[in-house]
Amino acid sequence: MTTTGKTSILILDDEPIVSKRLQPALEKRGYEVESFYESIKAMARIQERNFDIVVTDLKMEGIDGMQFLAEVKKLSPRTEIIVITGFATMDTAKESMRKGVFDFLAKPFKLGEIQEVIKKAEEHIRAGA
Amino acid sequence: MFGLFDHIRTKLLHMRRREQVSLAALFSNFQQVLELNNRVLTTFASMHDKLGGDYIFDLQYLRSSKQYILETVRELIDAFDAMAPGRYSALYDSFRAIRNKLDSELERRPVLPDIMAVPFESIGHNDMDEAGAKSTRLAMIAEAAAAEIPSGFAVTTSAYRLFMEYNDLGTGIRNAEEGWHGGTMTVQESSGKIRSQILSGTIPPRLRRALNRELEALRRKYGDDPLHLAVRSSAWGEDGALSFAGQYDSFLNVLPEDLHDAYRKVLASAYSPAAMEYRREYDFEPDEVFMAVSVQAMIDARTSGVAYSLSPVSQEINGVEIAAVWGLGSPIVSGTVEGDRFLVSRREGHEVISQSIAHKKAAMRNRSGGSVGMEPVSEALCDISSLSEGEIGLIADTAIRLEQYFKTPQDMEFAFDAAGKLVVLQSRPLRIETEDCSLSSDLSDALKQYPVVLSGEGDVAQQGVGSGPVFVAWEGRNLEDFPVGGVLVAHLSSPQYAAVLSRASGVITDIGSPLGHMATIAREYRVPALLNASRATLVLHEGEVVTLDAEQKTVYQGLVRELRLHDYMCDHMDETYEYRLLRRMLKLTEPLYLIDPQSSDFTPQGCQTLHDIARFIHEKAVEILTEIPYKTSSGDACPGGRLELPVPLDLVVLDIGGGLVADHPSVVPLSGKRKTIRPEQIKSEPLHAFIEGVTLEGVWQSSPVPVDFSSFMSSMTRTFSGDAVTPHRMGQNLAVISDCYLHLSLRLGYHFTLIDSYESEDGARNSVQFRFAGGVTGVTRRSRRARFLSEVLRSFDFSVTLREDLVVARAKGRMAQDISELLRILGILVAYTRQLDVSMVNDAQIQTHCQEFERIASRR
Repeated sequence: MTTTGKTSILILDDEPIVSKRLQPALEKRGYEVESFYESIKAMARIQERNFDIVVTDLKMEGIDGMQFLAEVKKLSPRTEIIVITGFATMDTAKESMRKGVFDFLAKPFKLGEIQEVIKKAEEHIRAGA
Repeated sequence: MFGLFDHIRTKLLHMRRREQVSLAALFSNFQQVLELNNRVLTTFASMHDKLGGDYIFDLQYLRSSKQYILETVRELIDAFDAMAPGRYSALYDSFRAIRNKLDSELERRPVLPDIMAVPFESIGHNDMDEAGAKSTRLAMIAEAAAAEIPSGFAVTTSAYRLFMEYNDLGTGIRNAEEGWHGGTMTVQESSGKIRSQILSGTIPPRLRRALNRELEALRRKYGDDPLHLAVRSSAWGEDGALSFAGQYDSFLNVLPEDLHDAYRKVLASAYSPAAMEYRREYDFEPDEVFMAVSVQAMIDARTSGVAYSLSPVSQEINGVEIAAVWGLGSPIVSGTVEGDRFLVSRREGHEVISQSIAHKKAAMRNRSGGSVGMEPVSEALCDISSLSEGEIGLIADTAIRLEQYFKTPQDMEFAFDAAGKLVVLQSRPLRIETEDCSLSSDLSDALKQYPVVLSGEGDVAQQGVGSGPVFVAWEGRNLEDFPVGGVLVAHLSSPQYAAVLSRASGVITDIGSPLGHMATIAREYRVPALLNASRATLVLHEGEVVTLDAEQKTVYQGLVRELRLHDYMCDHMDETYEYRLLRRMLKLTEPLYLIDPQSSDFTPQGCQTLHDIARFIHEKAVEILTEIPYKTSSGDACPGGRLELPVPLDLVVLDIGGGLVADHPSVVPLSGKRKTIRPEQIKSEPLHAFIEGVTLEGVWQSSPVPVDFSSFMSSMTRTFSGDAVTPHRMGQNLAVISDCYLHLSLRLGYHFTLIDSYESEDGARNSVQFRFAGGVTGVTRRSRRARFLSEVLRSFDFSVTLREDLVVARAKGRMAQDISELLRILGILVAYTRQLDVSMVNDAQIQTHCQEFERIASRR
């Protein structure tokens, strides 16, 4: 956990609406959240600090989600990754499970569903700590 | 005569065509039509559900939904066409027209209704795209009777588009904008070029006629008083998260003959340097400028001002803030003069917490000749308050009422006219910015101090935070007592609560689905709604103040101020592009315009939406089945026969698959003669339930009801005029069934009843439709019976449309056992209602019969 004692979450999705809706809902639950629309910028950010949880789309312009999550795992193996993606890319998403992804959700998903997955990821981190 | 020959010829043609489609193929196509129809309807429901805010969706979702719904409807048309090849080929044209509109929406070319100007009283809450936000909100205020508004009309976004096209301004604007983006022009030069082109544009003749028409109507309202106008921008995005407030121009006290000039000037202000820079900064598409214009009758204001329903000055003081000046309000809106200021309590009584009275030397007033100007204020008035205590209270009360109605704090402009009447000139969401950025993250800590009454259960139909006193809608309770701002708590979600939802600040039910009718209505009004919360009626008590946070599925005891503030400060989903796009997509697909199959626009060409297409197909597909002769030329016996019942309901059952017990020893396949079927052979669940109801002991009136002479005459004329055109309905009572489907068309006692139901384990697919029309008596008694029916149907939580003697009732998204119960009720209703119109001699009969019916229906 971070110095504030809060679980930190990075959200990366090239459609701004995703983090625009997700960030306030997660903050309301007491998480510390940073949002990115461009994978380049998110990539730069993870060089600077670790996050407890990363929520990322798979199919984006520039660096794709697969590359991004590989980098996250390399820099911070304890970070749990949750993949959010459209139905069309579900096969790729399943493939990502083999790369140590904690869980994946198909868009559109309910707020409650992702909160649930994040809670489980949090418990997983604690159990491993 | 030719009509008759044509009729026969078409009939013969159809017979010949139909014989080419074997019965087995016909049934299989019909099953497919049912299946696809179901899929179309559940897709609408699922898309509508996304408006509630519980889902996170993106553009990709909208693209794939569009694709999916179009493919499904296309398949549906194909399956239907296979039942009657070529008979309704015009459906493909209607389909193509709708598809093109959907494509256009997703390519960021919004589909706007082809109308130039709309009076405020004809603008509905869904018309923001064409009328713009400012006019639409005023119209909503007037419709809800929340406050007085000026008379006026909206010049639409379509008119703007037509003006641009007519004057061929597209290229000029693009070039000037590119010049600026490319650095060859300053923003001022680019803006100047565009504006001068707009200002010298010609008003298209069609728009000119529409403006004249609306002006004339406005003049008529004003009688002898001279009419002057306020011409204001009402553009897209003006009220959204990206507030364009103050970036567009408004013109006051405009003479009607100068409206065209003022209109052009408002359009030109869409390209002021500030507006252009704003759009570039927030990444607007160049063709996303849609300027509607609000034209209002000018108020001769004694005092004007601005009120914030929730003071943004500080979080600690929770008050209504008011600023006011003598005369017109624009100096205080633009902040160029100091006005009287009041901070007023939000609690009833609206005590003034603090006030400062400004020295008001001058006031802006209307001048003759169509202008406004600053004029000196008489010495006696300079230093006294421009508002009386009573007026301050009225403003505070109105501002809070509008906040309640729009579900967000309001920034309201108001005026008191010469007669002292309060008029709301504008109301828009108030952006509350707080310096304390940590509020959001501290919220989770702050919330811990509030007792939780309910948590973690239920389905969210509409997101949001709402607080107020609990109103428990126990059975038989008068909903007219529902308090403004109350939280509705009910056991079942039911469309009967629609009437109070616009006043509610929240809804919580024990049982209910976000795909049901009430959920749809909650989303229309953006009322936070948590359904299926299982024990809401047990833990929430009448009168107790609670705060519902639908997003977290939590109900807190008391008023949770932090949560409401947080909700007010958040960007709301309805301000996102994706949300608005989904709304517009649904507008092209989901509304049902084809309600009455007997009406003249019940045609393929009359289909305006995908729902209309599905509805049309369903109706006609059943009609094709009812036309099947009992014995085909190929000698196939029809799977089905006459049903043996203890009541004289002469019903023929047609099984299209799985509706009857196979190879039952008593089903003797007779060729040439009709078979008989006993109730126990029926496997179709909905028909089972219906039979149970219709045969309930003592309900079916077997003795003939005496018909008086005028009723008899009226039935004669009706029978020969209305019914002759649909000969197949004259004959047999028919049930088309499968294991989970029932379609009943009945003709009993001179009226038509239609029941269509699907019942399966998947609640989302389940539905019941009931339609009833006609009768033996004159229109008054028939409409009394229709009112009786609609009362009864509403009490069983059907969504009911009543039009004279036509009753259409629908229920969807219920569990299988609930569907069975509804069909049992419909069975009883059919038996009970047979000749009811004859006894409907006065209005009091309606209540008497409702009570009697309730007594019977509760019997088992």
